[in-house]
Amino acid sequence: MQIIVSVLKKELICQLRDKRTLVSMLISILAIPLILFLTFKVQSNFINKENNKQLKVAFVGETPSFLEDKFKSKQFKIQSNLSLVEGLDALHKDSLDAIIETNAKFESVVDAQQTGTINVYHKSESFVTLQKITAQIDALKSQIVSQRLSKLAIDEQLITPIVINPIDLTSNQEKFGKALGGFLPYIFVLTCLLGCLYPSIELITGEKEKGTVETILTTPASRFHILFGKILCIALMGLTLAILSVSGILMGVKFINDIPKEISETLHQILSLKFLIMLFVMLVPLSLFFGSLLTALVVRAKTFKEAQSITTPVNLVVVFPVAMALLPGVELNWNTAFIPILNLSLATKEIIAGTIELPYYFAIVFSLILLALATLYYSYKQYTKESMVL
Amino acid sequence: MIDVKNVTKKYTLTKKQQKELQTNTQSVFAVNNVSFTCTPGKVFSLLGPNGAGKTTLLRMVATILKPTEGTILVNNKSTITNATEVQKSIGFLTGSTNLYDKLTPQETVTYFGKLHGISKSGIQQRTQLLFDQLNIHEFSTKRISQLSTGMKQKVSIARSMIHDPDVVIFDEPTSGLDVITANSIIELIKQCKAAGKTIIFSSHIMSEVDLLCDELAIINHGKIIYNDAMDNFRMQLNGQSLTEAFIDIVKNNTLAHQEI
Repeated sequence: MQIIVSVLKKELICQLRDKRTLVSMLISILAIPLILFLTFKVQSNFINKENNKQLKVAFVGETPSFLEDKFKSKQFKIQSNLSLVEGLDALHKDSLDAIIETNAKFESVVDAQQTGTINVYHKSESFVTLQKITAQIDALKSQIVSQRLSKLAIDEQLITPIVINPIDLTSNQEKFGKALGGFLPYIFVLTCLLGCLYPSIELITGEKEKGTVETILTTPASRFHILFGKILCIALMGLTLAILSVSGILMGVKFINDIPKEISETLHQILSLKFLIMLFVMLVPLSLFFGSLLTALVVRAKTFKEAQSITTPVNLVVVFPVAMALLPGVELNWNTAFIPILNLSLATKEIIAGTIELPYYFAIVFSLILLALATLYYSYKQYTKESMVL
Repeated sequence: MIDVKNVTKKYTLTKKQQKELQTNTQSVFAVNNVSFTCTPGKVFSLLGPNGAGKTTLLRMVATILKPTEGTILVNNKSTITNATEVQKSIGFLTGSTNLYDKLTPQETVTYFGKLHGISKSGIQQRTQLLFDQLNIHEFSTKRISQLSTGMKQKVSIARSMIHDPDVVIFDEPTSGLDVITANSIIELIKQCKAAGKTIIFSSHIMSEVDLLCDELAIINHGKIIYNDAMDNFRMQLNGQSLTEAFIDIVKNNTLAHQEI
């Protein structure tokens, strides 16, 4: 035990004196809140800008006054006396937002209680233009329908036999939980892996490259104790980075004002102490698994560069089960509970949504521990091979 | 005492290695049926050209590698069946300093003391003694990365000697060092000899061998081709220098090896 602690302590000192490690830690704390801040800031600015924008609209054809009147508000600026060709040219040049075209018989068709057609020329790149114009026309449509029914002395209820009143019982926690639960594992699984990656190369391949491995192998310390001390350090770095990234999200939620209140309040509920403890319990064996797996791989490399190329596919392999958790229909059950990383991703979704079933959770933690121990044993077998260590 | 009996180290070549070496041979002998004995209070010198098998042999004595065949006994303990006991009595020093750049000399020596299972007070006493002998105190709290090669080699010596080993293996300890630092290592070997330790010393520098050596073995193509007392070797020189005699022995053996 004393040897393991000595190795762990020494490796941690070396890691914490490494500028690259410190920078990656700092990035992990700051990157997520910064990304969240920028995303919400840019998004809210864009939405505000679009909503407050005065739309330039041109009427083409013989436009009835009742239609044009609907657009006489601050929201719209009517451009008059434009032909369709001139209007289309202006639309392409972005000096106009929409053209509303009615044919010559539009007013008489509507008066004759038939259906008139309005063509709305617009560019779909702006998501509010058509929405705003349609809203005005819909208001006019309702007005005309009311008038027609009134002329015929028909009660509006006659043509509205049923009104659907959807009552959504999904809590905000469940709604955002499914979305956030899919996104969150991307953050902590990948930061955990990245947190383990550099130290594993430095502690295992780096020792081979610098020749220091020879000096520790001549000591009476057992190879397992040396290896376990190293893997603990690697896992601790990965775990720390994963925790820092989750802390980054917490900080982001707490300090960014641009997050909609509804989302912000729900996020506060989700990121509770219970959630953090349940996540931490899963992250411990996960980081040990990553540490052991990467050790077993990089022990084959003789140089830093070789180790980097050996570990590159691991990123892809790890992303795959995380992404699978986002697919519709992929749910936590007794099969998926034993698929590494996918089980953790699905469990995170369920924990956040508040719908996790404890037997599944314990099965996942147990399977992750078993996986970590099996990988640790495998890495020990690799580490004791002469050809691998020297 | 070190007793090496019929030791062989065979490596199986992978297809990639066969291609690199341009050979169809399935395996190579890094060390082939080697036997010798090193006695306490004497310096046993191992000479040989690059790739002769010196480092492999020394690594086997130091328990880093396991022999494919044969036995190595260090103080009557086998390096295979009793490796931990052997490791307690062995110090291993190479030419490349092999230190952790981000640690200080103090931290390095303490770390190795702990790996050797020495108590805290024991580490403190030994560190004090070694740092006094090697003049390490003035830079003991600086990071290794900030030290000169000479300073690093001193730290490397302190690290290898922290557990006061009975057997010390020096694998080309002065290669790449300036004259002053190299001399401090020569002095250390002399001190070890005077203290009755068993010493194996491999080197390319014949003047060092001449100065220190009691027993001499020359290894080429994994085999010991000469093994005798240094005094006997000197008597057989016939006006040749040590270097000339060494080159002659190796050349003749290489020619014979090629003919086979």
